[in-house]
Amino acid sequence: MPADAWRQWAAFAALFNPTTDPSPLGTFRSSPGAFAPFVDAEKFAAAARAFQSGQDAQTAAAAFSDFLRDQLGGVLDGLWGGPAFDGSAATGEEAPALGPNREQQERLQRATAAWRRLYQAQRRLQRLCSDALSEAARAFVSRQGVPAAPPTAEGLHGLYDAWIDCAEEAYARVAHGEAFGVALADALKAASEWRGECAASIEQWAKWLDWPMRSEINSLSLRVRALEEQQRERSRERETPARPVAKKAKKRTSAAKKPRGRTKR
Amino acid sequence: MSASLYAALSAARHCAPGCTAKDEVWRSGKLRLYRYRSISSPSSAVPLLIVYALVNRPYMMDLEPDRSLIRGLLSRGVDVYLIDWGYPDGADRFTTLEDYLERQLAGCIDEILKVRKLAALNLLGVCQGGVFSLCFAALHPERVRNLITMVTPVDFHTSTDLLSKWARKIDVDAWVGRGNVSGEVLNQLFLALMPFRLSQQKYVDLLRGDVDQARIENFMRVERWIYDSPDQAGAAFREFVVWFYQQNRLVRGGLSIGGRSVDLRTLELPILNLIGTRDHLVPPASSTALRDLTRSKDFTTLELDLGHIGMYVSARAQRQVPPAIADWLEAR
Repeated sequence: MPADAWRQWAAFAALFNPTTDPSPLGTFRSSPGAFAPFVDAEKFAAAARAFQSGQDAQTAAAAFSDFLRDQLGGVLDGLWGGPAFDGSAATGEEAPALGPNREQQERLQRATAAWRRLYQAQRRLQRLCSDALSEAARAFVSRQGVPAAPPTAEGLHGLYDAWIDCAEEAYARVAHGEAFGVALADALKAASEWRGECAASIEQWAKWLDWPMRSEINSLSLRVRALEEQQRERSRERETPARPVAKKAKKRTSAAKKPRGRTKR
Repeated sequence: MSASLYAALSAARHCAPGCTAKDEVWRSGKLRLYRYRSISSPSSAVPLLIVYALVNRPYMMDLEPDRSLIRGLLSRGVDVYLIDWGYPDGADRFTTLEDYLERQLAGCIDEILKVRKLAALNLLGVCQGGVFSLCFAALHPERVRNLITMVTPVDFHTSTDLLSKWARKIDVDAWVGRGNVSGEVLNQLFLALMPFRLSQQKYVDLLRGDVDQARIENFMRVERWIYDSPDQAGAAFREFVVWFYQQNRLVRGGLSIGGRSVDLRTLELPILNLIGTRDHLVPPASSTALRDLTRSKDFTTLELDLGHIGMYVSARAQRQVPPAIADWLEAR
C-alpha cells in the first residue's frame, strides 16, 4: 500500500480534472461534470488530510464541516438542473397587455412568472438541503472525532463512506418532510408551465410560417387511434357468431316496446 | 493504480449489455417479443414471460454472462420470453395503460399461447412490470398459470416510500400536459432519492482495491443501463401516477382498466413474491402488502437481503434468485 494515500487519490483525480490535466485526456475536458465525483474525491482527500493534520479538534471539525457543506451542496445543484439562475421579477411582468400583440405579451409574462416560481422553488430546495448538510456535517464530526494516525488508503475510504452515510441520513430526513415534497412539486409544476408557454410561442410561429403544428399532429394521432379502435371493433364483430347477435337485437326490440305500452296506460 | 483504472474504464466504454442468444418472435408497433434460446433441457412445457417496467430497458435481465437472471433461468430449463416495450416517442403520447395491458401485453401472451398451443403461461413481472402482471392476471386469470412478482410495489402509501411521498404532491396534469414525460427528468428524480450514494459514492468506490477488468466492465454496463431511460408515454404515465401512486387503487380499490374492474381479491393462482429488503425504490412493506390482498392459497414470499437493482444483477442474486424461481415453478 502506498505511504501517502492522499497522493494516490489526487493522482487519480488529476487524470479527470480539466484544470490539471496536461494533454492525453483532452476529450474529457469538454465534459468535466461527468467526472465531478473524482474531483470531489481529490478535494475530500485534501480536506481529510487537513482534518488529521494535528490542529486542535474543534478547529479541524469546523473546517471539515464547512468543507462537507460546500462539497455536498454542489452535488444537489447538479440534481436540480444546474446552478440557480436569477429569479428576480422581470421588468414589465405586470404591464397590462394591450393591442394586437397582447396574446404574445401575456404568454411572455406567464413564462417569466413561471421561471421566477421555478427559481423560488429551487431556492427552497437548496435551503432545505443546506440544513440537511449542516446536520450531516455535525453528525460526521461527532461520530469520527479527530484521529491521531495519518490516513491510509483504507482509512480514507472509511472516512468517505462515513461521510456519505451521514449525508444520506440527513438528506432522507429532509426529503421525507412536507416542505421538501411541496418545494419539489412546485419546481416541477413551474418548470412544466414555463415549458408549456415556450411551446405555445413556438406553436404560434409554426402557424405563422405554415409549418406543421404540434396540435395538428396531436389531432391526427387521435384520429388514427380512433380508426384503429374502429378496426378492432369490426374485427371483434366478425369473430362473434351472427345468430346470438340477431337474437339479442330481437329481444331488445321487444323489450323496448313494453315501456311504451305501460306509459300509455 | 490510477492510470490502470483509467485505462480499464476506457477499455470498457463500449461494453454492450446482453449476452444470451434470443429470437424476435412477435412485434407490435415499437414492442418486440423475444424468446431466448434454451441452453439446457426444458423442465416444463409452460413458458415464462418476463414483463419488465416501462421506465428502464429490459436488457438488465441479461446484462452479462455471470450477471444474468435470464441465463440463470435458462440453465435450469425454464423457457424464457421477454417483452421489450421500446422507446416511446411523440406518436405514443396518447398510449394508455389499457393499450399497454389489453393490446401489447395481451398480444404477447396470445401469441405465445397460440404458438405453443397452451391455455395459460407463467408470468414474471418486475417492478412496474409486476404491477402490470398483477392487473393482467386479475383481468384474465384463465391465461396466467403462475405469477411471480419481483420488487413490485403494491401498497403505494407506505411510510418509507419517498418516491410516493413526492408523487402524491405533484400536479401530474401540469407535468404531462399533452406530451410525453422525459426519461432524463424521471431519472433525476430516481437519483434524488439517494443522491450521494447514486451520484458520488459509486464512482469513488471504483478507487477501492485492485483494478479488476471484469468489475469495471460490469460497472460500465450498469452505468449505461441507468442512464438509458426511455421517455414515458404521457397518457399511461399520468394514469400510473394518479391511479397507483396518488390514489393507491390496488389497495383501496376502484381500479379499472379498459372499463373492467381490476380487483386483486379475485387472484387465486399461485404467487411467488420476491422482495429486496434493501430496496430504496420499492420499500419491502409496499410489496409484502400483496399477501393480504389476494385469495391465493399458494402464496410464497421470499425476502432477500438485496437492493432494487441488486435483485437481478448482484452476484448474490445470481446464486439465489434463478434457483428460487425455477424450483418454485417446477413444483407447480
